[in-house]
Amino acid sequence: MSLSRLGSIATAGRLALAASTVCAALTLATPIASAQTSPPAGPLVDAEWLSKNLDNPKVRVFEVSVDPGVYERGHIPGAVNINWHSDLVDPVKRDIVAPAAFEALLEKAGVDKDTTIVLYGDNNNWFAAWGGWVFNQYGLGERVKLLDGGRKYWEKQALPLDTKAPSYAKTDITLPPAKPELRARLVNVLEVVDGKKDAVIVDIRSPDEYSGKLFAPEGSKELSIRAGHVPGAKNVPWSKAVDAETGKFKSKEELKKLYADAGIDGSKPVIVYCRIGERSSHTWYALSRILGYEVKNYDGSWTEYGNSVGVPVINLAGTVWQGK
Amino acid sequence: MPPPLHLALPSRLLPISVALLIAALLVGGTLALSAGDAASRALGLSLALGAVFGVILQRGRFCFVCNTRDLIDQRDPRGVLAILLALAVGVAGYTLVVGAWLPVPQPERLPPDAHIGPVSWVLALAAFAFGLGMAISGSCISAHLYRLGEGSPTSPFALLGTWLGFGLGFLTWNTLYLAVIAEAPVIWLPHHLGYAGTLAASLAGLALLAAAALAWAGGRATHDAAATGSTSLARAILVARWPAAVTGLAIGALSAASYLRVGPLGVTAEIGSLARSAASGWNILPDTLHGLDGFRGCATVLKETLLSENGLFVTGLVGASLASALLAGQFAPRRPTVRDVLAGLSGGVLMGWGAMTALGCTVGVLLSGIHAGALSGWVFLVASFFGLLAGLPLRRRWVPV
Repeated sequence: MSLSRLGSIATAGRLALAASTVCAALTLATPIASAQTSPPAGPLVDAEWLSKNLDNPKVRVFEVSVDPGVYERGHIPGAVNINWHSDLVDPVKRDIVAPAAFEALLEKAGVDKDTTIVLYGDNNNWFAAWGGWVFNQYGLGERVKLLDGGRKYWEKQALPLDTKAPSYAKTDITLPPAKPELRARLVNVLEVVDGKKDAVIVDIRSPDEYSGKLFAPEGSKELSIRAGHVPGAKNVPWSKAVDAETGKFKSKEELKKLYADAGIDGSKPVIVYCRIGERSSHTWYALSRILGYEVKNYDGSWTEYGNSVGVPVINLAGTVWQGK
Repeated sequence: MPPPLHLALPSRLLPISVALLIAALLVGGTLALSAGDAASRALGLSLALGAVFGVILQRGRFCFVCNTRDLIDQRDPRGVLAILLALAVGVAGYTLVVGAWLPVPQPERLPPDAHIGPVSWVLALAAFAFGLGMAISGSCISAHLYRLGEGSPTSPFALLGTWLGFGLGFLTWNTLYLAVIAEAPVIWLPHHLGYAGTLAASLAGLALLAAAALAWAGGRATHDAAATGSTSLARAILVARWPAAVTGLAIGALSAASYLRVGPLGVTAEIGSLARSAASGWNILPDTLHGLDGFRGCATVLKETLLSENGLFVTGLVGASLASALLAGQFAPRRPTVRDVLAGLSGGVLMGWGAMTALGCTVGVLLSGIHAGALSGWVFLVASFFGLLAGLPLRRRWVPV
């Protein structure tokens, strides 16, 4: 046998070895696919479970981030992008997305009757939680879960990101009308302020906005011409509900204590508000979905209340609107 | 004209040492930032991409004014061909990236962060002013930044003028916005032509421009130094001007890579933000700049953090260009003359006003805009070219070469 023949046999051997190594790696990778499990009970899923269920056809992941452009530069593989400025709101009147538009969004994303919906986003799931509130209004309830920690925890765990936009086979679903009981209107807030209804109002803005020192945070476009808070409202900033390091919600016990210390123990219905109603959805999620309290989100929030004529306001700082 | 300030150096050791020190600082800064969280990693990448951009600009002499002037005066098409090649490669690169992000160019959806601006006569006027300003000052803003690294006597004044021009732009913005820009259409070509159609139309347009440049040059294209084979590889990379093809390919690839990972290339956002923060601090800015923050482009924001992506990009650009110029022996500072100062300041003011009003400059609107399939990029190209043509005679009269 010539030397060159021997050499080619050796090369073939190396190729076979490499091929078997690849096969072995693929075989080792297979259990990850077979590790797919039904989603854990409750309103949250963890990154570890989701990472093993990315190919699960019964799971659909949506990113709802505050910053446009975050999704495109890298998202959880297979996740569908939701632009909160246009996909979850009515583009003209101040309202949540209309049923037909919302159904079209879900159908295009391939959501079916038995799909588990996982929402996540940046900023500790700020607007993903708001998405959760909108999804819940359309009766998706227990099927909607937040990825605990959102993008922050996913990235912290160095889990993979993808830049391709996925496409799914279109489905056909019909949703029930939006649930009014998850939403508070100005009149509902005033009923509580006037003592006609018994409920706890929670203001989740910063202490400086609550006290009236600030009309709105720096750079905010949505403004009110009165500063302060709704009379009787308790101030529990939304960020206290999460662990600053991981972005995850605090444990159920810690959350229970956090709110109980402020007089919110679930014995009375709760109304949460912020400035435009999005951040307060995060607290709505903690109180309603995690602790199981009866909670409405007042999405008119301070931009509506602080601009309403004749409503009572508590302004501890005594600021006066100067037209600036 | 006063004599150049010759640096009396005993050898090339000092400039090479300084260049290596700067390179080490840029690499060290990138590594340090890249070890942080996601936001910090983006800052590290911006610094690295800025440094790469600075090296390409300096080594390739990639300058919209000088390249066009070379074509017009010397009938040398190399620089213009490099620009056109950079545009072609970037269009192809962006098509790959945007096609993955937005598989279908649906109406009302625009690729995130892409520099697609409103198209109106205000854009054309701003681009014309920018072209005029870059002709008078001798370079566009990105070239002034890399020439800062070469010790140019004009560039510091041109950049100061740009900063002032941005301030003027903020003062006229509301009037122009309410009169024209608010109603101006934001035209993204893939909405009308699809991705393939936009790519084909863009490449055809660029091919036509290349043919026109070659026809004007009349076959007088000079050979690139590296193509002659007379230089060593190290000399070809570190000292000789890079061939037009290499420069064009590198800029186009860098633009697409930057868009994929950080954002579109742009060099004025930081200057504009500094001007906006200063003007706001002095209370000379209108309380509200209508609609400005809703547009993409070289967007300006009030400075809230010391380190911004665009700030680090520009830092990397200037630092790497300085290191590159030192290595090539092209760092040649000279005491500025009154004409240098006046040409820099007046050209800079025109460029600053134009860049603010057009939401970017030759890099932000023209290069990144055309790459993204924005009609605004093409309008900027045409209008700034005519501004440049109008300004070149002024420059020749004012600052004789």
